Amino acid sequence: MSSPAVALEVELERVHPAAFGWALACCGGDRTAAEDTLQASYLKVLDGRARFDGRASFRTWFFAVVRRTAAEQRRRNALWRLWPLSWLGGAADGRPDPAAALAQSETTRRLVAALARLPRRQREVLNLVFYQDMSIAEAAEVAGISVGTARTHYERGKAALKQRLEGERE
Amino acid sequence: MIERDDEELRERFAALRREHTIAAPVFRDTMAAARSRPRAGHRLGFAAGAALLLVALGLIRTVGNRHHTSVDLASVRVHAPTDFLLQLPGADLLRTMPRLGRVSFDRRTL
Repeated sequence: MSSPAVALEVELERVHPAAFGWALACCGGDRTAAEDTLQASYLKVLDGRARFDGRASFRTWFFAVVRRTAAEQRRRNALWRLWPLSWLGGAADGRPDPAAALAQSETTRRLVAALARLPRRQREVLNLVFYQDMSIAEAAEVAGISVGTARTHYERGKAALKQRLEGERE
Repeated sequence: MIERDDEELRERFAALRREHTIAAPVFRDTMAAARSRPRAGHRLGFAAGAALLLVALGLIRTVGNRHHTSVDLASVRVHAPTDFLLQLPGADLLRTMPRLGRVSFDRRTL
């Protein structure tokens, strides 16, 4: 294997745990779909269909790849469900994995449930800022939106999330 | 950008991250699974082949239906372009039974 390919793999290994968390967020907590998305994203990088041009950090760039791949998988799964033979299986249903939900603590289960009720954009920006410790500018880059839009999603999402978590506590 | 009153949210997300880190698949396994996936080119080729096959089958069926007419072979009479060569002078003589006192053929054909 050539040295750029090795360097790429080292970078991928470094971001792997965080990328799995991000893939889970993009797939609505569905572990099977998240693993599938992550594999497809790695394959894109290995194939050269996704090329790192150095304009952003590797992590920001790769997270954008994961986000796009998850969106492609969602569209494909939606199309597959329209197919008459879809009952034969093959497409993830996009629901959270029951086994993973069982393994979660009560605190995180509440957080995941409250997040699930937020609009996708808000959920993504909050996840990138709080879970991935990114700045709003980095989150905007990953989500493919402007910084101003990302800030709006952040503020609205955070307020809605706090409200829901407090509402459950009462 | 995270304010002080966001500390609780940050704690919750940190707990979620810890749980996910423990449950994350091993990198090598994910990479091996990624490498064993069918390449996009292969999938596209397969899809294009399947689409072509479907189109070809559809065409064959459509054209076949358009030209399909039932033929009663017993009633078919084939006329070859060279049939006139077999029409010999006096051929009526071979097809008719001669009878006394009656001309059973056309003299003009002789």
